[in-house]
Amino acid sequence: MIFSTITFLYYFLPVALMVYFVVPSALKNLVLVVASLIFYAWGEPKYVYLMIALVIIGYIAGIVIHKYRGKTLGKVTYLVSLLLCFFALGFFKYADFFIESFGRVTGISVKLLGIALPIGISFYVFQLVSYLVEVKRENVAPQKNIINMFAYVTMFPQLIAGPIVRYNQIEKQLVSRTYNLEKIRAGITRFALGLGKKVLIANQLAELCDIIKASHDKSILFMWIYGVATALYIYYDFSGYSDMAIGLGSILGFNFPENFNYPFISGSITEFWRRWHMTLGGWFRDYVYIPMGGNRVGICRLILNILTVWMLTGLWHGAATNFLLWGLLFGVILLIEKLWLGKKLEKTLVLKHVYVLLLLVFTFVIFAADNVGAGFEQIGGMFGLGGLPLSSLETKYYFRSYISVLLMAVLGATPLIKDMFGKLKKNISEKWLAFVEPALVIAILALSTAYIVDGSFNPFLYFRF
Amino acid sequence: MNKEISNIKGALWDRIAVTIIVMFFGGFAILTWFKPVSDMSVEERRKLKDKPSFSVEKIVSGQYMKEFEEYALDQIPLRQNFREIKALYGTYVLGQLDNNELTIFEGHIINMEHTLDENSLEYAANRFNTIYDKYLSDKNINVYMSIIPDKNYFNGRDYTLKYDYEYLVEKMCNDVENQTYIDIFSLLDLEDYYRTDPHLRQENIVDVAAKLAESMGTSISTDYEQVQVTKEFYGTYYGQMALPVKGEEMSYLTNDIVSNCTVYDYENNRDIDMYNLDAVSGNDPYEMYLYGPLSLITITNPKADNEKELIIFRDSFASSVAPMLATAYNKVTLVDIRYVSPEYLGNFIEFNEQDVLFLYSTSVLNNSETIK
Repeated sequence: MIFSTITFLYYFLPVALMVYFVVPSALKNLVLVVASLIFYAWGEPKYVYLMIALVIIGYIAGIVIHKYRGKTLGKVTYLVSLLLCFFALGFFKYADFFIESFGRVTGISVKLLGIALPIGISFYVFQLVSYLVEVKRENVAPQKNIINMFAYVTMFPQLIAGPIVRYNQIEKQLVSRTYNLEKIRAGITRFALGLGKKVLIANQLAELCDIIKASHDKSILFMWIYGVATALYIYYDFSGYSDMAIGLGSILGFNFPENFNYPFISGSITEFWRRWHMTLGGWFRDYVYIPMGGNRVGICRLILNILTVWMLTGLWHGAATNFLLWGLLFGVILLIEKLWLGKKLEKTLVLKHVYVLLLLVFTFVIFAADNVGAGFEQIGGMFGLGGLPLSSLETKYYFRSYISVLLMAVLGATPLIKDMFGKLKKNISEKWLAFVEPALVIAILALSTAYIVDGSFNPFLYFRF
Repeated sequence: MNKEISNIKGALWDRIAVTIIVMFFGGFAILTWFKPVSDMSVEERRKLKDKPSFSVEKIVSGQYMKEFEEYALDQIPLRQNFREIKALYGTYVLGQLDNNELTIFEGHIINMEHTLDENSLEYAANRFNTIYDKYLSDKNINVYMSIIPDKNYFNGRDYTLKYDYEYLVEKMCNDVENQTYIDIFSLLDLEDYYRTDPHLRQENIVDVAAKLAESMGTSISTDYEQVQVTKEFYGTYYGQMALPVKGEEMSYLTNDIVSNCTVYDYENNRDIDMYNLDAVSGNDPYEMYLYGPLSLITITNPKADNEKELIIFRDSFASSVAPMLATAYNKVTLVDIRYVSPEYLGNFIEFNEQDVLFLYSTSVLNNSETIK
């Protein structure tokens, strides 16, 4: 099920919340699990069994690893359970990619398996792996209650597009959490803002990107608009979803980790990755980069560590060459910044932002392209390759038509609006805020519903990850 | 102590804020669940999805969920209001130049289709040539072609996107063989079209019908009585665009000759009227003209002063022109090859010394995949 649908907003969510708040505390996790399984099965009836099987494996493995810690059975269980998790991810997500790549390299034609990607598998497998590793490291006790275990992995707000919640971040909340109106109010507002970001901005930008891709009247300026719109679209799509997830979590009494912190204001790509998809970056740092030695290694090993992590980050986003290249490009840029450019960038005021924004436009064009060739063709178009004119009639028309959405998107990608509201909140009395805030929430909900009702373009980009 | 009071107040305002939202959101959700199912969207002129039937097979295959999503979208309360909110926000807040690819210029809703599909033009020309080769080439028949521009031709907004109409006409003239082209572009302007619909206002195109007839060597009646049938006509673009606009007048033209004509519908084997007044209150009032989309009809003019016959290969635009052309001929046959294959026409029409007119709008020529 997708958050930005009528089914979720006006059928599933009201019923799920009503039952959740009516039942006693002891039954809340059970309600959450049942609702989450319905939520998942709604969009993926077949693969719900795969998810259930993996959760049960993780649950049993956690207990065995803890009970037999330091012993062979514990170690074997740890390895086997991790292998099963990664096998499921590898098989369902990457099998066809590897078969295709093998065929391309060797020239041998092997039939593709044609397996459909189970929604959200990258997210829930990473959560399970985090649990197993933390139990193995004895940072957390194994979860003995299978309902709580299911609640951790399958909780519908973050099930299919994150944020990637680590077990230690939520362990205590699975057993005991506080519900209060302040948290619920904040959660509702956060959810509405996320919905607005997704429906009112991301979907509009995606429409613009599709128009430009299909245009027969391309120009250099049009391709730059495409690049900017693509980068912003990906940001709003994903951060909008994260906001909705965090907001729902808050309504349900949980504190989910933040996933984005205005990444486009970064002064370097290193800083960008501290602000973009923070839960994924943290996962790779703690479970891949640091175990490989992290920074405290020789230069050759450092290069290997960074490129490995970024190759995996790229592949995590999708089983295609452009994602692999996208990840490796970031690996190379981060290495250059770490070894040479980083200090120089710090000394500049404006140049560092121009540098970051240009790189983000180029890398996200590759990210969103159908294939690597198409990505480079689009970047080439930004520099007039293919004989594109500077501007065109369609460029003027669509620039004029989408300028408001683009400006809104640019402004919203900076902390400016948040700071403004922060100041306003301080200067306005609680009494007024109690009416203004619901009015804003209702307006965003109504407008988003209007766009959902009249629009057909509503995919979530991060579903494929 | 002061802090405690502040917290209590805070909780009160939180309660008020949450209550307001829950009442709106919950109330609307309840309305969604219990709203009676609507069959039709009058504005969008389409049937709305009904609640899907439930079966285990459909659940397992995911079909039930797919159908339910469509049902939920279609049956949401205030559906048309939501569509209007989106159109208003997009147009007046964001300043977007179109909504659902429809734009407004001088009070007219205009479909801003602007990409010329050469394959479509070639396909249409090819189908016309096939008809010529099969039925007309060895007969003493004069073949004419005329093209009706869509409203975007007259769109004078800044940043207007439109295709090259001159090129379209030139290509059709080059590709359709053995025809004489009758240019009517210069006789038309935006006011000759309905504001909320793509079609022509019959009362404004007497000169167009006259030019067509004159170019084919005959002449139509020029005196007609204009009969208004409604002041509240809302065309297809109205529903698609969803912006609140006023309805408009709709009329038909008649005179002694027109009212004495007999019309036969071969598709349903029945006699029909020139104007179907029941359609005015139906889903598509433009179907008033010659009963809308019918594959093959004939108009016989008992008051004709000649034995001339005309065959019009046409789309819906011809429905308002044909009654006037009928005054110049003994018999007019209208063929819509979107609904009947040209292969079967020999069973119904004896091609022999008639005038033949291919009368098509640019929008159908540019989307000719519907032509058989």
